[in-house]
Amino acid sequence: MRRILNWFRLGRLDGDLDRELRYHIERRVTDLIHSGLPEPEARRHVALELGSETQLREEVRDIWLNRWLRDFLHDLRHSARSIVRSPSLTAAAVLTLALGIGATTALYSLIDQVVLRVLPVDHPERLVLFNWNGEQLAETFGSDHLMSYPICRDLQQQTQFFDGVFCRAATTVNFSTGREPRLTAAELVSGTYFSVLGVSPALGRLLMIDDDQVPGSSPVVVLSYDFWQNQFGGAQDIVGRKVLVNQHPMTVVGVAAPTFHGIDVGEVPSVWIPAVMSAQAIPGFETMLDRRTRWMQILGRLKQNVSLAEAKTGLQPWFKAMLDEDTRRTDFSRFSGEQRRQFLASTLDLSAAPEGHSALRRNLSQPLWVLFVATAVLLALACLNVAGLFLARGSARDREISTRLALGASRGRIGRQLLTDSLLLAFAGGLLGVVLAPIAVRALIEFLPVDSAANNLYAHVDTRLLLFAFLVSLLTGFLAGSAPALQADRKSLDSALRERGGTPSGGLALRRAIVTAQIAFTLILVIAAGLFVRTLSGLLVKGPGFDTSSLISFGIKPALNGYSGAEESRLIRRITEGLRDSSNIQTSAIAHDQLLLGGAWANSLTIQAGERYTTDREVQMNAVSPGFFATLGTRIVSGRDFNEHDALDVAPVNQPLPVSKSGQRAVIVNQAFVKRYFAGRNPLGASVAMGSAPDATPDSEIVGVVENISYRNVREQWEQAFFPLGTEMSGSNFYVRFRGTPESAFRSIRTILRNADPTVPISYFRTLDEQIDRSLNTERMLAALSSSFGTLALLLSVVGLYGVMSFVVTQRTREIGIRLALGATRLSTIWLVLRDALMMITGGTAIALPCVWALGRLVESQLYDVKPTDPVTILAATLVLGLTALGAALIPARRASAVNPTEALRFE
Amino acid sequence: LWYPERQKVEVLMPSPRFPIPQGTLDMLLLQILSLEPAHGYGIAQRLEQISKSVVQVNQGSLYPALHRLEQRGWLKADWKESETGREAKFYSLTRSGQKQLRVEKDSWARLTGAVRLIFDEGAAQ
Repeated sequence: MRRILNWFRLGRLDGDLDRELRYHIERRVTDLIHSGLPEPEARRHVALELGSETQLREEVRDIWLNRWLRDFLHDLRHSARSIVRSPSLTAAAVLTLALGIGATTALYSLIDQVVLRVLPVDHPERLVLFNWNGEQLAETFGSDHLMSYPICRDLQQQTQFFDGVFCRAATTVNFSTGREPRLTAAELVSGTYFSVLGVSPALGRLLMIDDDQVPGSSPVVVLSYDFWQNQFGGAQDIVGRKVLVNQHPMTVVGVAAPTFHGIDVGEVPSVWIPAVMSAQAIPGFETMLDRRTRWMQILGRLKQNVSLAEAKTGLQPWFKAMLDEDTRRTDFSRFSGEQRRQFLASTLDLSAAPEGHSALRRNLSQPLWVLFVATAVLLALACLNVAGLFLARGSARDREISTRLALGASRGRIGRQLLTDSLLLAFAGGLLGVVLAPIAVRALIEFLPVDSAANNLYAHVDTRLLLFAFLVSLLTGFLAGSAPALQADRKSLDSALRERGGTPSGGLALRRAIVTAQIAFTLILVIAAGLFVRTLSGLLVKGPGFDTSSLISFGIKPALNGYSGAEESRLIRRITEGLRDSSNIQTSAIAHDQLLLGGAWANSLTIQAGERYTTDREVQMNAVSPGFFATLGTRIVSGRDFNEHDALDVAPVNQPLPVSKSGQRAVIVNQAFVKRYFAGRNPLGASVAMGSAPDATPDSEIVGVVENISYRNVREQWEQAFFPLGTEMSGSNFYVRFRGTPESAFRSIRTILRNADPTVPISYFRTLDEQIDRSLNTERMLAALSSSFGTLALLLSVVGLYGVMSFVVTQRTREIGIRLALGATRLSTIWLVLRDALMMITGGTAIALPCVWALGRLVESQLYDVKPTDPVTILAATLVLGLTALGAALIPARRASAVNPTEALRFE
Repeated sequence: LWYPERQKVEVLMPSPRFPIPQGTLDMLLLQILSLEPAHGYGIAQRLEQISKSVVQVNQGSLYPALHRLEQRGWLKADWKESETGREAKFYSLTRSGQKQLRVEKDSWARLTGAVRLIFDEGAAQ
């Protein structure tokens, strides 16, 4: 450090040394004269004693700065000068590198935030996530790693392995401070949540074990710091304030630490509510203490001296005993022997969870890694391009370098100079890249299939990101600079000096190799772009199976307003009537579950069609109002739609259908269901029952068959069964087909909703086209980014190829002239040049194809209806690249054919 | 190079003298400066006096050594008026320089002790 400081005060140090030596010499001379020596001799003697003053100075300077640093700083100054001297080359190189580094840094930022970042809590490395491997025989609410609340309480007793265990589930509540209520992200947590994570309060207290004892007894909430700041303006008297959660009064007891945003990067809660208040937080949810309801993620903190494997092994006896005990519970009688066997075969899994738990991470990590690999390839391409630029400049500087070598500069020293050039450029590019990265990150976040309000993703530059960009720039500099440096190292001195001016051979083989590699990298990116674009267009063409134009969907949550079932039905009837009477609404219908949201209500079914059998996998279900299929524009292939008489008292979703009270129950299935379970037979008249228990009574008659429509997402084609919406199984997802513009339809619907109930929370409100866009966000991101990467890559490699080919033509002008003079045709000279380009293109393709084959596994799961080795895509990409590259080579080739033989020969 | 005055110079520089063993110059400089601060020329003279002209210190290597010790933080330097009235750069020992001197003295003592032991062993046989 001190040495770098010395660089800046070198002038003063030099002056000081000078004075010091002067003093020494004068004193010595004076003393020698006193001892009787004449002055000239005294001076000579002193000079001899001290040795060469220049060498002495150099020696001392080496101490101030050490040799390596001095040379490096000298190189840096030299590089800076040469960079300023060729601004266009510099701009091209810096921009290329900035694009590469910026894109890589942006992707890394997202991967860091979504995948890699550990929770800002005490010792996150000791956090583990529990997972039930096998059949839980439970109703499921949520997406993954789900278990029941009682199991969490059981695990809390395992104190020999864990310092603590907590469970959590995300939900949305209608949060009100007395003024206008709004839907707010909440996390239902066990009382151990904060203490196990080691989060401290910013104000008041956090939830404790005492808050999580008796269901319904702890109406308290903790606010997140951001929510407290934004919604309450950071009011100091917040603790003790009364708020309404779904119209239930609760008390704010504290505010969490500012750095803590929950354990899920994709769903950041604003409030934390004790799990025992789940009936209040999720209206209609009464099964918190039921072991056959899985809805929470369970995490624990390992004891200091317990390893993950030890805990996992140690827990199995308890787990087996618990399974055994469970099968003896009364509610287990409804399951078949096979189901029991599967249940008993379950194991408990543990995985390290320093980053917490996030469904977003699971869904996005693969697409993000794919894109990261793509940006890495792009960056490598940029490096190659800059290396090519340097080689081109290097050949222009051949004579300078040869002269320096002749004057005694070491080869390593020259190589280091060239490396310094590229490092300096790489850092300039990196700096620009870091400036560009946040813009790119912001654009990337827009692409993500998450609610931008609810996630914890930011487009900011932090130290981790800077460190990453620094390392990438360093690597880039070394990679881009190593080729020219190696080239300088290999150069034979006397051949270089003997060369005629203007026709240096400057690393042509190396430049050819670089262009070949560029072609290979580009082909990989272009093929990837082709695959992702085909996936997206395939999904768009396939569509959801119904006409989405002129369709609006919206959802309301009357239950979060504390409405009873009867109040809710009245409200829905008012809205339905309003929609029916509106002039710019064609038809409307209601569904229990929203389409294209990524989730589905699913269960197995028992079918009675002559013989009795159960479905071999879960069937996706929904409950819909009469006219639902007509509104979507889905054809009923055979049978009939539901009618008003089908709407019976149907049990809530989380219960098996009870035995019918009166009349016939109806069910409509889709074509995929018929294909899988009826295989050509007529399904009409057969009956089904919910679930696969031995006592399930197939009492719902199949009255109709509809075309396949998308439920969870556009990709999937699944077996579906639709039940009629009833008074008890109500739905509040409206599907509306309108006339005229969407804007006027939005206005009419808002008016209808306001007239029906101005306070009812609206959970979403959008056109079906937009809904499809959202559900295809990941595919869209992959297609858009891979295409732009592919285009950029194409541009870079074409520039590289063009550069090399023009160089070749310049170099071979004389040869071409001779050929022409000896009678070669113009066409044959064009071919002479193109053949060269074709060799590089073929070489690049030969390298790329095995890589595509190897990388295919990475992208396979992201594709739809196209294989990673799809011959059409590969052929098309190769053709696009080949033709573009040949086009670029044609320009210098034409120049070669236009060579005038007399001039070319006189050139010497 | 050929100097006609070569003879006279040799008269002023009595020989033979030991070239100073490698690595000991730093220690000697620290020792000299531990007594009192001094400038480069003063140190050169003192080295000459103390060693009774037995040890030959190349004056050319004196300044690099001083600067190296200063760079390491063992010496600090100030410009002060010297005995002749001109400004000279006076070196003095820093706290870590004192510590270093103790370390070097200690290791030197151990080294010479070991060498003596080996010599004595040889003499005893």
